[in-house]
Amino acid sequence: MADIEINGKVIKARDGAMVIEAADEAGITIPRFCYHEKLSVAASCRMCLVEVEKAPKPLPACATPVTDGMKVWTNSPKALAAQKNVMEFLLINHPLDCPICDQGGECDLQDIAVGYGSDVSRFSEIKRVVRSKDIGPLIATDFTRCIHCTRCVRFGQEIAGVKELGATGRGEHMEIGTYVEKSVGSELSGNIIDLCPVGALTSKPFRFTARPWELGDILSVSPHDCVGSNLVLQTRRNRVMRVVPQANEAINETWISDRDRFSYVGLNSKERLDKPMIKVEDEWREVGWETALERVVKGIRDLINGHGAEQFGTLMSPSSTLEEMYLLQKLTRGLGSANIDHRLRQSDFSDQELLPPFPWLGQEIKQLEKLNAALLVGSNVRKEQPIIAHRLRKAAVSGASVMFVNPVDYSFNFPVAEKLIGNPDRMVRVLAGIAKALLDITGDVAPEGLQVLLENVSVGDTELVVAERLKAAENSTVLLGTLALQSPQLSSLRALSALIAKLSGARFGQLPEGANSSGGWLAGAVPHRGPAGEEAAVAGVNASVMFEHPLRGYLLMGVEPELDTLSPATSVKILEQASFVVLMTPFVSEQMKRYADVILPVSPFSETSGTFVNIEGRWQSFSGAVVPLGESRPAWKVLRVLGNLFDLQGFDYTSSEQVRDELKASCEQIEPSSRVTWRCPTSLDADSTGLQRIGEVPIYAADALVRRSEPLQNTQDAMAAAVYVNESVATGLGLADGDVAQVRQGGDSIWLPVVIDERVADGCVIVPAALAETAGLGAIYGSVDISKN
Amino acid sequence: MTGRNLIDLLTKDSRAEIDRWIAKYPADQKQSAVMAALRIVQEQNEGHLTTELMDAVAQYLQMDPIAVYEVATFYSMYEMKPVGRHKICVCTNISCMLCGSEEIVEHLKKKLGIGFGEVTPDGRFSLKEVECLGACVGAPMFQIGEHYYEHLTTEKVDRILNEID
Amino acid sequence: MKALGRFFKSLFLLELLQGLRLTGRYLLDRKVTIIYPEEKTPQSPRFRGLHAQRRYPGGEERCIACKLCEAICPAMAITIEAEPRQDGSRRTSRYDIDLSKCIFCGFCEESCPVDAIVETRVFEYFGEKRSDLVKSKKDLLEVGAQHEAQIAADRAQDAPYR
Repeated sequence: MADIEINGKVIKARDGAMVIEAADEAGITIPRFCYHEKLSVAASCRMCLVEVEKAPKPLPACATPVTDGMKVWTNSPKALAAQKNVMEFLLINHPLDCPICDQGGECDLQDIAVGYGSDVSRFSEIKRVVRSKDIGPLIATDFTRCIHCTRCVRFGQEIAGVKELGATGRGEHMEIGTYVEKSVGSELSGNIIDLCPVGALTSKPFRFTARPWELGDILSVSPHDCVGSNLVLQTRRNRVMRVVPQANEAINETWISDRDRFSYVGLNSKERLDKPMIKVEDEWREVGWETALERVVKGIRDLINGHGAEQFGTLMSPSSTLEEMYLLQKLTRGLGSANIDHRLRQSDFSDQELLPPFPWLGQEIKQLEKLNAALLVGSNVRKEQPIIAHRLRKAAVSGASVMFVNPVDYSFNFPVAEKLIGNPDRMVRVLAGIAKALLDITGDVAPEGLQVLLENVSVGDTELVVAERLKAAENSTVLLGTLALQSPQLSSLRALSALIAKLSGARFGQLPEGANSSGGWLAGAVPHRGPAGEEAAVAGVNASVMFEHPLRGYLLMGVEPELDTLSPATSVKILEQASFVVLMTPFVSEQMKRYADVILPVSPFSETSGTFVNIEGRWQSFSGAVVPLGESRPAWKVLRVLGNLFDLQGFDYTSSEQVRDELKASCEQIEPSSRVTWRCPTSLDADSTGLQRIGEVPIYAADALVRRSEPLQNTQDAMAAAVYVNESVATGLGLADGDVAQVRQGGDSIWLPVVIDERVADGCVIVPAALAETAGLGAIYGSVDISKN
Repeated sequence: MTGRNLIDLLTKDSRAEIDRWIAKYPADQKQSAVMAALRIVQEQNEGHLTTELMDAVAQYLQMDPIAVYEVATFYSMYEMKPVGRHKICVCTNISCMLCGSEEIVEHLKKKLGIGFGEVTPDGRFSLKEVECLGACVGAPMFQIGEHYYEHLTTEKVDRILNEID
Repeated sequence: MKALGRFFKSLFLLELLQGLRLTGRYLLDRKVTIIYPEEKTPQSPRFRGLHAQRRYPGGEERCIACKLCEAICPAMAITIEAEPRQDGSRRTSRYDIDLSKCIFCGFCEESCPVDAIVETRVFEYFGEKRSDLVKSKKDLLEVGAQHEAQIAADRAQDAPYR
């Protein structure tokens, strides 16, 4: 620690800290543009010049390390004169177009100019003009306003991990841009809008629509991934105008992904439903809530009385709130059925009895950046949980070995130490290889049954290295990604991953899809367990079975079965045959009207209060930011009324907090755990043949809301519906880039263009799921036939 | 996206020369050779760089393409557009200006019929305004190729230009 | 002596005559009242009457949707919605002034960086319904078009003091 004095105030500063950090900690404000606590120091704006004792000239506070006994003045005449002069220089080329600038009102330059600028400009020459560039559908540029702080450039290099923006030219000719015309493709790119101290980079969807002083801030939580990034929904006249991050060092620091930032556009989609609808003699009618709910009650009663409660099942989106999930399972169980699930894309449920109370990361999110080694199994973490990827990147950059076992050679924004890319069927074998290597290293005895299976497993060089690195690392983890969680060999992958973690002393964690998968388990939204992980008295059937063996009645909450289920084509067929289908959904599509009997408009996350439990097991409650659209209502209220209409006990809640507290009380005893009870896989090989489909869910197709966000759909990351294969597989099939091929899976077939993509392993093909064009296919994993004509 | 392989755009000689430069730096700091690599590639391509060539350099040195563009646009010795066989770099900084560089520039422009940043129709000459080349002692001066020509007068300029093809 | 003075004053009705003198003077003086609406009082160029939206001589509307008037309005009488126009420029898609809220303080005019919203000399307007007093962008632009010459002249006259 160094003792320094700033403006006569004695401060203890960390050794190696810069003066500006010490001042910030002591609450002394120094004006700055280029300095940002999360980025490296550039010292290019010179706004933070301060007077330092014995220094002949003012020094930049952001690039001057503290030394013991240092005396600094931030507002002495000398410092102030320096700051004022820098301000004058900065304003030389900055246009005075604040009235048409979207940054107006929240602009660092504007604010600081009030304090340090002069009334009149002494500069009478012509100002510099820079052509604006199109850098994609998310970010609008006005580079004439740029003051060359290079925060955006440093963000790309240091945080996003892809340097896309750069400063070309020099001196007066320096320009920020991509040099060649191209979009910025990072999944964290929206953060440069927040970083830009002027109006050079602003939000395109928000462009010109509101002023910062008009916006009300409501804190919320991201409804898209299991990270639970903290958001601020900025609203005006009952409409969410913009989403910005809320700093939370434990979760998202000051960043959010583009998916969290721009999905709000979908909230105002034309497909929002604002009135309950019922089908009367094949005609859709808009009705009042009373009529609609009566119809629901009658429909479900008739069904249960006629065919038994086990013919009724409920499914919900894994991004539903905890309260919604809890009430829906309470309702379903109250009606005598246990067919309830939120794991819509999971195909292997055989190990569900062996699992801990809820899927857990095995550690806190902030611990990830301290890792020395990490093994991710079946995960495209960069696009699935961008904030987790950012933490892993921090670890990787400081030397950790991040390793992958994946069916596709995804590109990551950090150095990947080892990767084992292969056909999805081979992943189990690869994990067995790593486990075998670890058993050899540790000398432990293989758990029951495994020894036999391992006999004909060969340990490759890479498997050995992965094992060695995991074992050698002091702080390591094994994470099961979303792709693995959707795999038909999930139970084997999970058992082996957990074993690898145990043998290497690593923490085991999972990264499920949706914002509230952990909450889903806690709320009892699984067929075999009730709330708080209690064994269910009667076990129901899971999501996959519900669509394999048709039930007569379904209630779906927040689910678009034609996109969100494991096997969309089958799901839709079964729903069409069912005698009674109720949808609770914020959005309605033509397809829904074909199989539903009642459609109830419920609120998306911005219009309801609720709670998401993130992957660390952190309960984060939020309130509604705006009043529900039209006649739509928060789903928890709808469920509560339904409970009353069914004369069920315990549905007299007056607030969502009451629902949450009831569940929380019973969850108090639950400790987060990653312990997976060992059960030996029956075989290391899948019985599949032929080409394997990988039904990757593209980042901007993950849920109903992002799918309706137009700007996100126009980005590079919005994957086009196509068949992605590598060159050799394509040649084998007689296909070339751009051909149109027929994809057959089971009895279904569709036509899709072919894209040659070398990231895809041999023997498999990516046909993205959750897209309208591929909804005609079966399971997201499985054998497919691809042929030309 | 893997993108296509652009390294083939670099000739074998260029690659050998770049490798010689890479060898001068620590193994994990290949990008230090970027300036030399750009110069070599520029020579290979008759005096100017193209986006594709810069991408090739980026691939060869495992850098982000934009980082290469930054370097190439920062320094005045890299050309982004085709240049003449002889690039006349006239210094117009203070010493040369005081000693009459304006007159030299006027003369050159009139004689060649081109302005700064342009190429003569026959592709022989291009004209470029540069900052101080450190030869104030011989002001006014210009540089053609690797040669400095100092104490210029209009007659001397004529003579020099006639002497080279 | 004092009592004598009072006696003569009351005897000759001097106070009454004094009063009548004032009456007489105003009787013969120039009238200050006017016969409205045939006659009108003179107006200052700074008169704050009905609002107008102006256009540039080329026909382009001046307003750039900076929303400063909306922010400064103490009566919250202004409602603005903005969006990028087809050509990418920043424009209002809605600009309403509720004249039943407006207190004619002139802050909107003063805050406007492009002299788009101005208050004209027009004070004779009416609405048959309350809603008639909510002036839309179209209405305001019409007022502006009608009185542009006067508005421009008034601004020019006031320019040295601004």
